[in-house]
Amino acid sequence: MRVAVFGAVLTLACLAPAARGLAQAYPPDGRNIPAIDNTEDASGAFGQDLRAPPPPNAWDRESAWNMKVEGFDDNQGRPIYQPLVVNQDGREILYLGNLAGNLLNPLTGQVEPNGTSIIDVTDVHQPKFLFHIPGPPGTVGNAGAQMVRVCSGSVLPHGEKGKWYLLRAYGNAGPDEAHQVWDVTDPAAPKFIVTIVSGLSNTHKSWWECDTGIAYLVAGSKADGWHQSGPGQHLKIYDLSDPAKPVYIRDFGLVGQQPDADVANAKSCTAAPGPNCYEGNKNPPAGVHGPISMGATVNRLYLPYGVGKDGVIQILDRQKLLAGCTSPTASPNCATRPTQAELLYPQLGVIAMNAENGGHSSMPILGVPLPAEQAHFSDGKPQKKDLLIVVSEATANNCLGQAEHNAWILDITDEAAPWPLSTLNVPQSPGDFCDKGARFGAHAVAEAIYPPYYGKIVGVSWFNAGARVWDIRDPRNPRPIAYYIQAPNKNTVASCARLNGNAVCHNAAMNDYVEFDDRGYIYAADRSGSGVTILSLTGDALKAVTPQAK
Amino acid sequence: MRLKPLAVATFAALCSLAPIAAHAASPTPSPAGTLTQQQIGALGKIVPGQSSRADVTALLGEPWRVVQFNDCGEAMDGQDDETWEYRGADANGGFRLHVEFNEHGMVHLFAKIPDAAPGGAGTAAKVEPGGSHMGMSM
Repeated sequence: MRVAVFGAVLTLACLAPAARGLAQAYPPDGRNIPAIDNTEDASGAFGQDLRAPPPPNAWDRESAWNMKVEGFDDNQGRPIYQPLVVNQDGREILYLGNLAGNLLNPLTGQVEPNGTSIIDVTDVHQPKFLFHIPGPPGTVGNAGAQMVRVCSGSVLPHGEKGKWYLLRAYGNAGPDEAHQVWDVTDPAAPKFIVTIVSGLSNTHKSWWECDTGIAYLVAGSKADGWHQSGPGQHLKIYDLSDPAKPVYIRDFGLVGQQPDADVANAKSCTAAPGPNCYEGNKNPPAGVHGPISMGATVNRLYLPYGVGKDGVIQILDRQKLLAGCTSPTASPNCATRPTQAELLYPQLGVIAMNAENGGHSSMPILGVPLPAEQAHFSDGKPQKKDLLIVVSEATANNCLGQAEHNAWILDITDEAAPWPLSTLNVPQSPGDFCDKGARFGAHAVAEAIYPPYYGKIVGVSWFNAGARVWDIRDPRNPRPIAYYIQAPNKNTVASCARLNGNAVCHNAAMNDYVEFDDRGYIYAADRSGSGVTILSLTGDALKAVTPQAK
Repeated sequence: MRLKPLAVATFAALCSLAPIAAHAASPTPSPAGTLTQQQIGALGKIVPGQSSRADVTALLGEPWRVVQFNDCGEAMDGQDDETWEYRGADANGGFRLHVEFNEHGMVHLFAKIPDAAPGGAGTAAKVEPGGSHMGMSM
């Protein structure tokens, strides 16, 4: 046993330097994409012993399979939405975007609206809570700062060398939300820099290209006239190459969402393409959740719309998106009120989901070798696929009134015609997750782009079924390979539901996000106030990401 | 020189009284949102559908934690209820008082939830009559 643990730690330690040295070469920091080598046999995962996940322990107990707990921080009891780990000049800093609420900050002695937590996780065994940047004051519904991105001033084209900048949403569903930039060069003493844009509603998950400074902010505004079903949000694109001086570029969304769309008379773009149509199966289309840009070289953006229903997945030409409204032929109000043609101009591919599934996350994994097609293929060339991991968010407690929400691997090699290859799912049993309390189902896919994990494994948060990891080296036959289910603790917010006429509350942790750092550690952030757990891979999961794995 | 022992004795006596005086002037406060036994005994006064935020504050003081899960405005029915939590302890151990308010600021649901629930068993909650919420909180 000791030998196995030592071996795992040694392997992780050996992986870390290779990943760390290149940490800022990949999106969102740089524009390189990790090369993915084939480490599977020609038969792939087909016919292999799938080693079915062992059943979890009782609901009040922690459960782990091929994962080991390395550290923990309670995040002061604040419910977490998004974790982000940044290698900040050799220090590993964990930024946590928190959901709405308020709670005492022991560092200041003040009750603070939930905002952004900053934790030094350089020593994963002893995380140190450095600072909490409060969220908006006022009613609790206005609070929260769920989303966070960080760029180095040494990478941003016009940033101040040596500085670090934090981009965050300010507020979640209130009447006057914003996106802000903070100086986090000293993560223990952040300084406010600028409000990029305010007067927003429904801020959500943004993306910030550090090497160009282009930020794809997600938000809506009652005043901007855009149309969305469900969450009222679309893209607001800014140039933050100098983070202190934001420059507005344009708004963007799906066809059918633009302010001048005639929603009452619009027809489906698929069934009745015409000058007044809407993409997908919902009129107007649902709002975007969180884009991912693969940078200037790959020149692609991937956008999921719909969160947990009426989904659409869209692939865009990045350059056409950014420059579309500067064309001499662009309409006068292209930036704020684009025409249907101007929204279609950068669109390369689109796929509509059905009503019971939405686009919460869409994570591209480009250049994945297919194990069975590295030799003896029709043209004799090793075959690779571009993949998109798409996740639909479960939004109901106790599975009430909702179909199961899963994740899928889409083949986007032909961008104009994305097509599903396989499904990533977790069964309700063993674990009896629908009766456990809180939500059961998929939420989000890990977005960090680091070798050797990129293209080998994916992590998906599965709410009360924990942080789940799949081996996707054979993407037609993805294998569940690890999980971690946190036990509830004294900070876990109970979830209550009316079951068979009786109101019942359960203490159940809910994994909201899984994220990786450039050392190979995995962060499982809890939505119900139970803290953030730092994990490492062990056993078969660790073997899947070692360079010589077979 | 002769006064020195007296001064020392007086100082010592004053010092011994200081904690009492300090306590009388400013009793050591409980951590915010921690219920006293008196407050725990009064929990029956919270009535779903009838008690307001002001009523709860008057009875229990400020909560230990407030949460609201209106994630991007897409919360399911009842999931965006503002929830107040208090900590407490009774003969059965530590617990959290969980109070959910509806959009009108009235108590919609409350429950006394043990910190340790063997096997993860659920806890019955009191809820306003006639509520239609399916998936309450989070």
